[in-house]
Amino acid sequence: MTLQEQIRSARMRTVLVLFLFVVLVALVVAAVYVFFGQGFGLIMALVAVGYGIFAYVAAGSIVASASGARPVSKEEAPELYRTVENAAIAAGLAKTPDIYIIDDAAPNAFAAGRTPEKAYVAATTGILALLDRRELEGVMAHEIAHVRNRDVRLMTLAAVMVGVISMIADMLLWATVFGGGRNSNNQNPIGAIIAIAAIILAPIGGALLQMALSRRREYLADATAAELTGDPEGLARALYKLAVDQHPLQHVNRATAHLWIESPLRDHHGLRSSVGGLFDTHPPLQERIDRLQEMGGFQLPPIPAGGAEA
Amino acid sequence: MSTTVLIIIGAVIVVVLLWLVLTYNGLVRLRNEAQQGESSIDIQLKRRADLIPNLVEAVKGYAAHEQEAFERVTAARAHALEARTLGDKAAADGETRSALGGLLAVAEAYPQLRAVESFTLLQAELSDTEDKIAAARRYYNNVVQRYNTKQQSFPANVIAGPFGFGPREFYRIEDDAERDPVKVEITA
Repeated sequence: MTLQEQIRSARMRTVLVLFLFVVLVALVVAAVYVFFGQGFGLIMALVAVGYGIFAYVAAGSIVASASGARPVSKEEAPELYRTVENAAIAAGLAKTPDIYIIDDAAPNAFAAGRTPEKAYVAATTGILALLDRRELEGVMAHEIAHVRNRDVRLMTLAAVMVGVISMIADMLLWATVFGGGRNSNNQNPIGAIIAIAAIILAPIGGALLQMALSRRREYLADATAAELTGDPEGLARALYKLAVDQHPLQHVNRATAHLWIESPLRDHHGLRSSVGGLFDTHPPLQERIDRLQEMGGFQLPPIPAGGAEA
Repeated sequence: MSTTVLIIIGAVIVVVLLWLVLTYNGLVRLRNEAQQGESSIDIQLKRRADLIPNLVEAVKGYAAHEQEAFERVTAARAHALEARTLGDKAAADGETRSALGGLLAVAEAYPQLRAVESFTLLQAELSDTEDKIAAARRYYNNVVQRYNTKQQSFPANVIAGPFGFGPREFYRIEDDAERDPVKVEITA
C-alpha cells in the first residue's frame, strides 16, 4: 500500500474498532437491564459514568511522574530539540510540545498530553545514544504523529471504557453470585444466559478491542511520521535498531505501554508473542518495518531471530 | 397525506442544509490551515534572510575578493524579502538556496574560516533553518493537496465554486534534490 492508502486504511479500521466498542457497551447495558431492571440499572449507569469521568481526569497526571521524565533545555539537547521542532512544523502544530528526557539505557520514546497544546514528548538517554540523526527524526515524527492524531486522548478514552465495562461486569457477577438478580427468575432463560455470557466476555472483549485500537494507531503514527519527514526509511532503520537492542526499560507499567514507540513490555526472546499478538499494544516490529518498506520502496535486512546476536 | 409530503420535504431540506454547513466549514478549515502553512513558511524564510548578512560578513573577513558570491546571495535575499506571491517566494527561495550553496562552497576553501566558532554556529543555524523551511513546505503542500482534492471532488465541488474556494498552488522550488512527501509506489 502507498502512504496515503495506509493512512486511509488505518483510519477506517479505527472507526470499525470504535463501532465494535459501542456494540460492546450496548451489550453490557442490555445485560444490566436484564438483571436489575430499569431503576437500579440507571443508578449503576450513573456510577459507571462518574467512575469513567474520574478515571479520565485522573489519568492526565500519571505518565510523566511514573516514567521518571525530566524537562530538558534546548542547550542540553539541541539535536533532540531540532528534530521535535521540525516534526511539529511539518505536522502544523501551533506550538512545539515540551520535551523531556528519561535517564534510562533502554532506547524508547513516548508522547503524552491529551491536546496538542498540552502535549509533551519524551525520549530516553538510551535512544539518544543509539540512533543517528535521521533515525531520531523518524522516531520523534512518530511521537508528533501521535500528538497530531490525538492518540493519547483516544487511548485514554479506550482505557477508561474498558475500566467501566470491567467494573459493571464485576458488579453483575457479584449480583449473580449473591442472588441479587431479582428479575432473573421470571425472565426468559435465553436472555439470562446471554446476559451471563456478556458479563464474562465483555471485559476480555474490551481489552482485545483496546489493544487492537492501539496497534491500528501505531501503524497510523508510522505512516503519518513518514509523511512528516518524507523519509520512511529513517523510521524503519530506527525500528530495526530497537528490535536488535536488548536493554529492558526500567519504569514500566501496563497502563502506559501504548504510549511508547515500541512496546516496553516486549519479551526480548521472541519478536512475535503468543496468542497471535492479540493482547499486544504494538504490532510486531518486523511488520511495521515491512509496511514502511512498502511505502518507501527500500529494503532492510530482516530482523535476526531472537532479536540480536548478543 | 400532505403532512407526510411536508415532513419529507422538510427532512430533505434539513439534510441538505446540514451537508452544506459541514462541507463549507470543512473547506474553510482546510483553507485556513493552508494559510497558516504559508505563514509558517514565511517565518522560516524570514529567519534565513536574517542570518544571511552575518554569514556574508563572516565570509568576507577571509575572502573579500569573492565578490560574485556575495552579490548573488545579497540579490537573492533582496528578492526573497520583496516577494509577495507564493510563486515569487518559491522562486526567490530557490535562488537563495543555490546562492548560499555557492557562498558555502567558497567558505570551504578557507580552513581558517571553518575554524572560527561564530562561523560554524552560523552554519549550523542555517542548516537548521533549511530543515525547518523544508518541514514547513511539506506541511503546506500536504494541506494544499487535501484542500484541492476536497474542493475538486463531488459533491463538494458543487458549492466550492460559488462560495469562492478556488484551487491553491503548491509551493515548488525549481532545482530540487529536496526530499518531498513520499510518492514512490511499490506494491507488495
